[in-house]
Amino acid sequence: MTTTANVYTFRMRSMVALAIASVIGACGFLWPFFLNAHSPFRHQYNQIFFFVAVPLALTILIIEISNQRLDAKSVALLGVLAALTAALRPMGAGAAGIEPMWFILILSARVFGPAFGFILGILSMFVSAFITGGFGPWLPYQMFAAGWIGLAAGALPQRIGRYQIRGRIEILLMVIFGILAAFSFGLLMDLQFWPWTLGSQTQLSYSADATLGTNIHHFLIFHFISSMAWDVPRAVITAMLTVFTAPAVLFALRRTKRKASFLTPIEFKERLGISERATEQTEL
Amino acid sequence: MIVFSSVSLIYPNSTKTIIENLSFTVAEGELVLVMGATGAGKSSLLRLINGLVPHHTGGILAGDISVNGISTRKMKPGGLAHLIGIVGQNPLNGFVCDRVEEELAFGMEALNLPSDVMRKRVEEVLDLLSLAHLRNRTIATLSGGEQQRVAIGTALVMHPKVLVLDEPTSALDPVAAEEVLSIIHRLVHDLGLTVVISEHKLERVIQFADRIIHMKSDGYTEIGLPHEILKNSEIAPPLIHLARALDLSEMSLSVRDMRRETESIRRNLDATPRKNSSNLLTSETPELINVDTIALRHGNTIALKNVSLSVCQGEIVAIMGRNGAGKSSLLRSIAGILHPTHGRISVMGGDPSKLRGQARIKTIGFIPQEPSDLLFGQSVQAECEAADRDNGISLGLTFNLLSSLVPGIARSTHPRDLSEGQRLALALSVVLSSSPQILVLDEPTRGLDYSAKSSLITTLKILAAARCAVIIATHDVELVAEVATRVVFIAEGEIVADGPTVEVLLSSPAFAPQVAKIMAPAPWLTVKDVVDVLNRAR
Repeated sequence: MTTTANVYTFRMRSMVALAIASVIGACGFLWPFFLNAHSPFRHQYNQIFFFVAVPLALTILIIEISNQRLDAKSVALLGVLAALTAALRPMGAGAAGIEPMWFILILSARVFGPAFGFILGILSMFVSAFITGGFGPWLPYQMFAAGWIGLAAGALPQRIGRYQIRGRIEILLMVIFGILAAFSFGLLMDLQFWPWTLGSQTQLSYSADATLGTNIHHFLIFHFISSMAWDVPRAVITAMLTVFTAPAVLFALRRTKRKASFLTPIEFKERLGISERATEQTEL
Repeated sequence: MIVFSSVSLIYPNSTKTIIENLSFTVAEGELVLVMGATGAGKSSLLRLINGLVPHHTGGILAGDISVNGISTRKMKPGGLAHLIGIVGQNPLNGFVCDRVEEELAFGMEALNLPSDVMRKRVEEVLDLLSLAHLRNRTIATLSGGEQQRVAIGTALVMHPKVLVLDEPTSALDPVAAEEVLSIIHRLVHDLGLTVVISEHKLERVIQFADRIIHMKSDGYTEIGLPHEILKNSEIAPPLIHLARALDLSEMSLSVRDMRRETESIRRNLDATPRKNSSNLLTSETPELINVDTIALRHGNTIALKNVSLSVCQGEIVAIMGRNGAGKSSLLRSIAGILHPTHGRISVMGGDPSKLRGQARIKTIGFIPQEPSDLLFGQSVQAECEAADRDNGISLGLTFNLLSSLVPGIARSTHPRDLSEGQRLALALSVVLSSSPQILVLDEPTRGLDYSAKSSLITTLKILAAARCAVIIATHDVELVAEVATRVVFIAEGEIVADGPTVEVLLSSPAFAPQVAKIMAPAPWLTVKDVVDVLNRAR
């Protein structure tokens, strides 16, 4: 039996591509800890990840995803939600960490699943860069980070055993996840930022000659300071918006999902069988 | 061109057969009208033609549908895009680009046509639909009729063989509707385009239809020539009702033929104006609304200038005029949403914009053009209960009111899943549950079928009899003829006519109802008027 198209989901191939790209992406975030005093090419190659590897991984992933047949309904949903998320991001007018976009990304991913959440995260960051003029070597990192957050939000369990997670418990789950996401995004952004931002001479700087321990120590202090300024406001805003809007937004998104009738069976027959008519008569 | 062979349709998660065992053939160059009450399955039928049902909605489809020899079983809607153009009810919902030219090219872009072909076709369509002077305009600034023409243009650039239109004129004023329909008529005759069209306002399209598919509410579908179908159908334009009332043997479908038929009747009837039974106003009737030379501007455009109006208890005032003439601005000023830049408005002696809370809902009820703007409950039940609580009336009264307007709405339905008519009824019951003194309705008959319209008419008449004042902005001349006691005609933000319905409607042929056109110069607006006069003559 055939069905209507599904909302965007990963196939085997795109999952492999995602895994590979994620590993490269993770290296892109974590390289300062691998390149240390004992690495032979520490001074030559430390910029490769920043400028080449992550954008490359992202490009491969996007090509793989766009090679799949995206159904018109998925495209429409992605387009509207990505535009909305992207437009909400600069609403905080650049004030420290106030980016009222995360709740939409998280709630959409919750309703439409991990694959959809991943694409939505990547797209929203990309589109919002158009709005804010935020193009730069950091953009692929932001896209990856938002994609991972969407992926994780979509992968949260829908039920525990026979109990379906809905209502207040679900909102609590969303709030907790929102706070975690806000802090993780900050951590990831600091990771890509830290080696470049301070110059090489300060006490908190990344140093290719230092040991792993020293670098981690420096990073944690750096992260703690920036986190106070950026991540705490981001987490507070995300949590507040989630509490206030989640019931209505989740309802609207779930209704959209129902109306779009993803994966609804289609049956073609020569003529209506007895069974369909009989049920109709008993119903009426 | 289009062949339905014993088609039945059942939607998923439903046991109701929407369409049962329907067979018909539409030949090339035919214009077929689909008529029926709301919910009878008109839209489903139209969407079956290009395969949107069931490929996008799911469901069980029995039988076979083929267009130009291609079965919709095998071909998905995308594969039929070059063959079938589809235009929806609200053209704005379908637009992708900002400018007319870009919008016309967009569909061809998706079909991957070479750019020289695209250029040629854009020019062709601009000429065909007389859109050339609008080519660089922003779509949002066009009038409703122009937008609908652009929407038809976007379908025509793909050179389709079939054009499917779902209520193309329901949001348009009579003149714009005429403009759109005459273009469709020309396309059918000049290009041999096959057109399937659904429409509630039958009086507008009936003269163009070659055949009618009548989807009855009992699930039975009739197909035939217009005069055969209309002889017995329960829904029919005023023209047919008049023919039935006069016991004419021939069913004429145009005003011209009808005038020929009724020549002898008109000659014998006494054409003196009827005594103005509706005009019961005396100098003592209290005035509820007084608009005193107001002016209003939106940015640089002047929406209203020098408008003065007075509305008394028991009046039903219809505000008419082109799209964009300033009707909505006037209504919104009266409701206290907009603030006039000059002049003042008093509603029951006070400034409407200063009314708050209980005082407001007891004084004035306003239903905007899109009734769902008022509805933010998550179900019909929640909406009704909220209204009960707000007005301090006993639980369930609002829902009872709703059931008396439109029976059979399930309580758990989400307001946005209701049909246009049901949504209007819900908004109306919520507003009426506070029994306001003044009711203001902006364009209430969009997408209403005849039965929903007649229950609206009854409700409005009851309200007027209960000493309320009703103001309606509408394009629907037949509604105005039925219900209004007075008509105010607005053009370019100014009142150009204000007087009893009969006088104003008869003075302009474009806005005259069908019965008046047939019976001119006699001043009768509705079938009932004519029948009354006939009875008196006997």
